[in-house]
Amino acid sequence: MTFISPWFLLGLLGIAIPVYLHLYYRKTPVQKEFPSLRLIKLSVEYVARRKKIRNLILMTLRILTIILVVMAMARPFLGASASASADAQAPSAFVVLLDNSMSMSSVDKGISAFNSARSKALELIEQMTENDRATVGFVNEPGRLGYSQLTWDKEALKKIISDSKISAGGTDIASSLLPALKLLAPLKTHKKAVFLITDMTESAWRPFLDRYDIAEIDKSIDLVVVPMGAQEIDNMAVTDLRVESPIVMTGKKTAVKAKIANYSKQAKKIRAVFAINGERKSEKELEVEANSEKEADFEIVFVKAGMNRIALTINSDSLPADNERHAALRVFDPCRILIVKPENIPGAPENREDLFVKFALNPLAKSKDNSFITESRSANELNNVDFKRYAAVILINQRRLNADVLKLLSEYLMGGGNLITFLGDRTEPEWYNENLTDNLGGGYLLPARLYKRVGNAVSKSVYYQLTDLDLGHPAFNIFEAEGNGDPSRARIYEFFQVKPNASAIVLSRMSHGFPGIVEENRGAGKSLLITFSADTKWTNWPAKPTWLPFLHQSLISMITSKEVTVKNVKPGMPVSITIMQKDTGKLKIVLPDETEINPSSNNGYKGILHLTITDTEQAGYYEIVSEKLGVLTAFAVNPPAVESMLKKINLRDIPRFIPLKDEPGKRTVKDKVSVLRNGYDLGGISLIMLVLLAIAENLLANKPAKKRTE
Amino acid sequence: MSKTGSISKYLDAELLAKLSSMEVKSRAAVEGMIEGLHKSPVKGFNVEFSEYRQYVPGDSLRDIDWKVYARTDKYYIKEHEEETNLSGYVIMDTSGSMSYKGAGKISKLDYAATLAASLSYLMLKQQDSVGLVTFADGVRKIIRPKTGMAHLKIICNELEMTKPESTTSIGESLDAVGQIMKKRGVFIIFSDLMDNAELVINKLRQLKKRRHEIILYHVLDRDEISFPFDDTTVFKDLEDKSEIITDAFTLKNEYLRRIRNMVNTFKSALRKSGIDYLLADTSISPEINLRSFFTRRQSYNLWGDRQ
Repeated sequence: MTFISPWFLLGLLGIAIPVYLHLYYRKTPVQKEFPSLRLIKLSVEYVARRKKIRNLILMTLRILTIILVVMAMARPFLGASASASADAQAPSAFVVLLDNSMSMSSVDKGISAFNSARSKALELIEQMTENDRATVGFVNEPGRLGYSQLTWDKEALKKIISDSKISAGGTDIASSLLPALKLLAPLKTHKKAVFLITDMTESAWRPFLDRYDIAEIDKSIDLVVVPMGAQEIDNMAVTDLRVESPIVMTGKKTAVKAKIANYSKQAKKIRAVFAINGERKSEKELEVEANSEKEADFEIVFVKAGMNRIALTINSDSLPADNERHAALRVFDPCRILIVKPENIPGAPENREDLFVKFALNPLAKSKDNSFITESRSANELNNVDFKRYAAVILINQRRLNADVLKLLSEYLMGGGNLITFLGDRTEPEWYNENLTDNLGGGYLLPARLYKRVGNAVSKSVYYQLTDLDLGHPAFNIFEAEGNGDPSRARIYEFFQVKPNASAIVLSRMSHGFPGIVEENRGAGKSLLITFSADTKWTNWPAKPTWLPFLHQSLISMITSKEVTVKNVKPGMPVSITIMQKDTGKLKIVLPDETEINPSSNNGYKGILHLTITDTEQAGYYEIVSEKLGVLTAFAVNPPAVESMLKKINLRDIPRFIPLKDEPGKRTVKDKVSVLRNGYDLGGISLIMLVLLAIAENLLANKPAKKRTE
Repeated sequence: MSKTGSISKYLDAELLAKLSSMEVKSRAAVEGMIEGLHKSPVKGFNVEFSEYRQYVPGDSLRDIDWKVYARTDKYYIKEHEEETNLSGYVIMDTSGSMSYKGAGKISKLDYAATLAASLSYLMLKQQDSVGLVTFADGVRKIIRPKTGMAHLKIICNELEMTKPESTTSIGESLDAVGQIMKKRGVFIIFSDLMDNAELVINKLRQLKKRRHEIILYHVLDRDEISFPFDDTTVFKDLEDKSEIITDAFTLKNEYLRRIRNMVNTFKSALRKSGIDYLLADTSISPEINLRSFFTRRQSYNLWGDRQ
């Protein structure tokens, strides 16, 4: 026979107490004469009544004594956890999930919540015994497990925790908790637990609680939450930074909007500093009301074309990670647009069919400080033109074009140029189909084949309207908002019936269903075909207010379509980028901390590069740099705005999770884990109570005489 | 005094010598045939002046104070206090319980008898008459009050001869004594009062109403007062011989509470009625008890506090 606690056998010496008391009081009654038993009898009656109660108490004590004897021998353990109810000798399997989301970087009284959490995780791993298995995981967005399997290797797990870093990401509890549960669920002979060490932000817990029914989680797994960080932390954050205009040109005032949030109980004054490429450009003093957001507008003039890094910074506080927000912005030099107008007929007045287009793009014919700089030429003036100088070429109602020009145009288009073609009374469909499409082979220019003319622009008795506008397309996207006009109000009296190519998309149809505006990606460029005239001969649209935004948006969408715009990238989110660029040479990605990594790129057809970047844990700028061409593109990673809300969730709102609070000076983590795993060991308590009961029973039963005069 | 020592075992010469200067005085007036220490309600020709009053026809001319007449030319009668002898009964409880002799050397009856004999001697010495009544469950013996030292021997003999036995019935015995004693006098009762307290108090009050002066000696052994028993004990009643087995220790507090209540009940009830209550603890020497009686008729309560 073995004993878990053999020193308790010393308690057997306690048997001497009742034996002694028994012998001491075992006496035959003494005979005694007394003057009168009157008072004695009365006293006996009274005492007998009280003795009845005492006897009942004695009986209770004795019953309790027997219960405790049995319990003490059975070594009982008491606990609310599932582990405590399991076989006492069963090994443990557990997963420690460490919250390394941005909110954990908060600092209270010089102590970082993440550092505390990390040491707590190490303490938990330290509790592993020989037969236990465990793994660690990280609760950020997206979360992950350090080891996808449970391991016996305590030191390896400790190393993962020690090497772990805070991320700039949000908190996605489910992304690591669910795999952890999945890992533990099949184990049948283990005590199972998931320890979640987190700062308990409501913004992280609410979506999780709303989406998952925690009560349904496997009951055999203990869910333990270890709350970290101070109860209430004041926090200021920059939660948004954006440029609303679709295209930003150099030298032009651009509105930059930012949002600054105050997650505290009192209004706060802050200084917001706007910087471009690390250079301070603008500053603002703002007062933000308690628990609210405030918008801050900055009027900025960008001077450098290409990728610009913009940032808004506010004063540092207990959570510094969200005091700065970044954005990567492509700034264009003003776009040069070549308008090819019909040739002038000798003797006739100058052809002005380009008037409405020119006026819409550059009304004051400025050579700078305008988004578009237009240049009008007729077809016979195109021989020496270098199309590459232009962001777009607009063909208006051309009769014929020289084959060389067409070839240059085709090269221009396929190489990344943009072509807009307006038709009109000079257009000969057969010639167009043959020369702009068939003869150029793969380098064709038009997105559709032309057929006959529909309608009569002379009588104007019948008119058509634009319907089925593709509001998802950038050219028409602006008209989605009410108050921005409606292009379908314009009347089109005459147009060409066309048949779009297989890969072309119809942006708008005529009211009886024929395609009205067709677009097709051609090589690296785009070609847009408008089936009616650019002036008011065939339509009244150029005189309508929606004409200008349509032209602007169409051009901007064409120009910026090659630009990779990666927005709202959250930390940890993989980013896929397609770059249309030939001869880039070797590419590298520069991370916010200036480290460089080589991208896993896929060189596609004719200079189309596909890049996937998975290492986006850091907040800040990521630049894709070509050895030959410099910065090709860039994007910014910012922490999710909700992560800045540090309001804690009440522990009572989280069912199933057993809190393992950090109470310095009280029970250690080791003791707490032991209680959780095994429950409270009642064996010792039972024995102590047993001894106390035995003494109480003896005292009550025998009433040792304090004043006994023997 | 040496004579008295041989009369009875209850008369201690030394004790009587110490008490010889004491006088047994009645607080109230008593009626007696012999002139003595005690005030008599009948006006007499004693030397002790009482008061002057105007002459009224019928008064004896002998009583007129001629000196006052000479000064005032008016007749005044000079009145004197009459002094008479005291007639007292020593009423002795001789029930079985009085035979109890605890850790001390003397039984309750012997202790009471010592007090009674000493008081009788002192009363007889000052020309008072003393009688004796013994009782248990009824009156057992009555010796009429007489003066003279010869009577002391009769009383002492009777006390010595009496064997304590039977139960206590104080009420009945006091009724009998009241009927015998028509004249106002002093009753000195010695008893352990092992009877119904209410009944005893009522009977004593009735006697008091008849203008007798009553002195009650509550005779208790130290064992009865302190109950020094701890073991499981078979207690045997000295009066009715009944037995009870009980754990004395568990009983102790309750018993002490009850005996304390009993003494306090007698003390307060009797004092209100003008009856002297004196606790005679057999462990205290008779001399102390008697001295306290003589001086202020004080006694020691159960726990030694002087009252």
